[in-house]
Amino acid sequence: MVSCAVLERPGTWRVIGITVGLLVAFAPAVPLLFAAGVQNGGGSMLGGNFGAALGRSFAVAAAVALLTVGIGLPTGVLAGLSDFPLRSFLLALLALPLLVPSFLWAIGISMLRTSSGMSATSFLSGYSGAVIAFVAVGLPLVFFVSLLSTRGISRGQADAARLAGGESNLFRHALRSVSPTAAVAGVLGGVLTLADPGPGQILGYNGAGFAILTSFAAQYDFGLAARQCLILSVLVVVIVLPVVVLLAPRFAASLLARDVAPFAPFRSSLTNWLAPVLLFSIIIFTVVLPAAGLTAPVLRDFPAARVAQEVRRTLPNTLVYAAAASGIATILGFALALIAGRERRLRAILLAAAVVLFALPSSFGALGILHAGTAAPATLDFLFRSKFAASAGLAMHCLPLAVIIAMRSIGTTSPSWANAAAVHGVPLRLYFGRILVPHLLPAMLLAALLCALIATADVSTILLLHPPGETSLPLAIFTVMANAPESLVGALCLAYLGGAAVLMCLAAALARFARDTS
Amino acid sequence: MKRHRLFLHLIALTSLALRASAAAGEVVVYSSVDDVFARPIAERFQKQTGIEVKLVPDTEETKSTGLLNRLIAEKKRPVADVFWSGDPARAAILKAKGISAPYQSANAADLPKLFSDPEGHWTGFSSRARVIIYNRNLVAAGQEPKSVFDLADPKWKGKGCLANPLFGTTSMHAAALFQMLGEAKAREFFNSIKANGAAILSSNGEVKRRVGAGDFAFGLTDTDDANSAIKEGKPVGMIFPDQDGMGALIVPNCAVLIANAPHAVEGKKFIDYLLTPEVEQALAESEAAQMPVRKGVKVPASVRPLDEIKPMQVDYAKLAALLDELARGFLKDWASSD
Repeated sequence: MVSCAVLERPGTWRVIGITVGLLVAFAPAVPLLFAAGVQNGGGSMLGGNFGAALGRSFAVAAAVALLTVGIGLPTGVLAGLSDFPLRSFLLALLALPLLVPSFLWAIGISMLRTSSGMSATSFLSGYSGAVIAFVAVGLPLVFFVSLLSTRGISRGQADAARLAGGESNLFRHALRSVSPTAAVAGVLGGVLTLADPGPGQILGYNGAGFAILTSFAAQYDFGLAARQCLILSVLVVVIVLPVVVLLAPRFAASLLARDVAPFAPFRSSLTNWLAPVLLFSIIIFTVVLPAAGLTAPVLRDFPAARVAQEVRRTLPNTLVYAAAASGIATILGFALALIAGRERRLRAILLAAAVVLFALPSSFGALGILHAGTAAPATLDFLFRSKFAASAGLAMHCLPLAVIIAMRSIGTTSPSWANAAAVHGVPLRLYFGRILVPHLLPAMLLAALLCALIATADVSTILLLHPPGETSLPLAIFTVMANAPESLVGALCLAYLGGAAVLMCLAAALARFARDTS
Repeated sequence: MKRHRLFLHLIALTSLALRASAAAGEVVVYSSVDDVFARPIAERFQKQTGIEVKLVPDTEETKSTGLLNRLIAEKKRPVADVFWSGDPARAAILKAKGISAPYQSANAADLPKLFSDPEGHWTGFSSRARVIIYNRNLVAAGQEPKSVFDLADPKWKGKGCLANPLFGTTSMHAAALFQMLGEAKAREFFNSIKANGAAILSSNGEVKRRVGAGDFAFGLTDTDDANSAIKEGKPVGMIFPDQDGMGALIVPNCAVLIANAPHAVEGKKFIDYLLTPEVEQALAESEAAQMPVRKGVKVPASVRPLDEIKPMQVDYAKLAALLDELARGFLKDWASSD
């Protein structure tokens, strides 16, 4: 019988486990990374303007990371510490930007700019416009990570902070405690912008994502695109690794046992109205304004029958892809975090790998799976040319988020739990079933939900990997948005957002039910 | 006993149904034509023949790494049977990469040879054209731009726009201009467009939106974009450019049979159907308002017959190679420089 104590001891199994897990995660990208070495389209090694494009992209990424952490961290902490009316509703609204592909939000900003009569050189276009579009998507990520981490503070810690210096001390303590996780989320949000060409294209700013897209889509030069991705990934590692190494010890959270009972929310009336006001301001900026641009045409005409037909055709597949991708990402993410355990070196490697995985364009892995499917015999089509393949491709793209939530969540467990179980001879399976999994379940559900939403918004992977006839709703929007009447595009977007909001409300209600009955 | 018999009947009926659907077959169609226009045609074919059409749509407008990359990646063991391309340049790329197979449909007999590959790798039918879309509130009647060269005319400084010439039909238009003007003159023209402050937008759809919104006085786009803006009631007009000069670029749809297609027989039947007058008429009557390339097809009053338009005399078969060269060199630098 394997002792529970193994979970708190170092061992070569951890290194092997992390290696195998990361190989699985990076496997789809291998064919194209191989192409980077052997194919040469005849042009320059990296393309003429790639260096300048990289510089612009890193400037945008840095601005996005700074802004999302600067706004998302204090607001997330404040919302985590406070209890206020319409809390669930406001949080659900703020999650909406996570549900839609970034290019859709950029179109909303672009439409808003034109409908408000601003000039083509206003702050809603070019470099600043791209930063705003990316911040609208990245801010909720940092906000929710901060909120979740704040909720992980125990009643004992909160009471101690209050005794030492009142509510303001609790806020400062929470801010310090949550900042490493929020910083990593902010860096991820910034990194995510590097390979995403959508908002830049729409708002008139060309970065590295555009250069890679051009290599793929205009030149059909996989080798060049792969080399550019490789350079981008190496730079991401060089820049991010020191941050990760610096933050990893604090990111590992407390090693002491914890009282996991929830703390009492802020009692000050000032903070209890400040939190919703701040939240509402962010929602106006990140949700209401872009959504107004997208949905205005629907007010003139609502093609209900066509929308119902499209939704009926695509909804089952959308749910299947989201559920399967989030399931794969969550299980793999928590398994990897558990294997890394509390080992500082492995946690840093895992975090760096997650950041690199996030930096790779999603179409990179998808094309890898396509190549593998073509090379494989027809008997393996169920693996490479199926809904599973599409879901696996999506899962690899949202895996980093699952890994981060898992690392944070596992950090809130105490080593004494496993050690005490080992002393009393509790079988490992029983320890998992009765102690560890129930403790991690809320974080697992959150990871699954966020992964499902991000997977649903990833159009590139589904476009390349979905079996013929098995399309999803976002892909249907993507393929009609250029030429269909604006009212149809707007109505489909509304249907998408509405459906996702209903699912989120259901998930929140389920989580509340589980908490109340536990 | 009764239940047992009922169960057997159910199995028999299910297997009959399965066999019936298997007999009718299926065809996998990758299409870069906008879904709103391609799907009704695919549904008509399915209704007429019983062959299930699995349509995989894409649109070059939204700049995906898209279906062409998927076709290239799947070359050795394709999933698709037919590629329904929105323009001949993409079809010619497939031919150059050995992904398409020759097929001469009997229904192509009365289609003009100009729009098809001489070796039968792609066959052109219903077409769009590259046009000037202008804002009627910003351009006085009688003062409309009449040529693509107006993008470089100081009279229109900072007032024109076009989509990124690395993608979609704009890329084909750029290649056609290089073919018509020669490299030196074309380079000079593109550089003067930039010097004149013309904006490079993300797509033809964006050109339509921004001109309609009054951000720009005019821009280059496709007939289907311009027509949809007019139908939506935007204050825009459409002009076929250079009717006194080199003519407007005609962009036909193309049907391509994929080499080693898993359902080649059904694929050929689908191509035969695409090339019928019925499909040309349906596409003309759709919001795309496409122009039939075949003579004698009835079109609505809003669709200008092709023989009333002076076309650019380009060699479509040679555009793909030129486009490939430009995308790696001049146009890439041009599009990404400030």
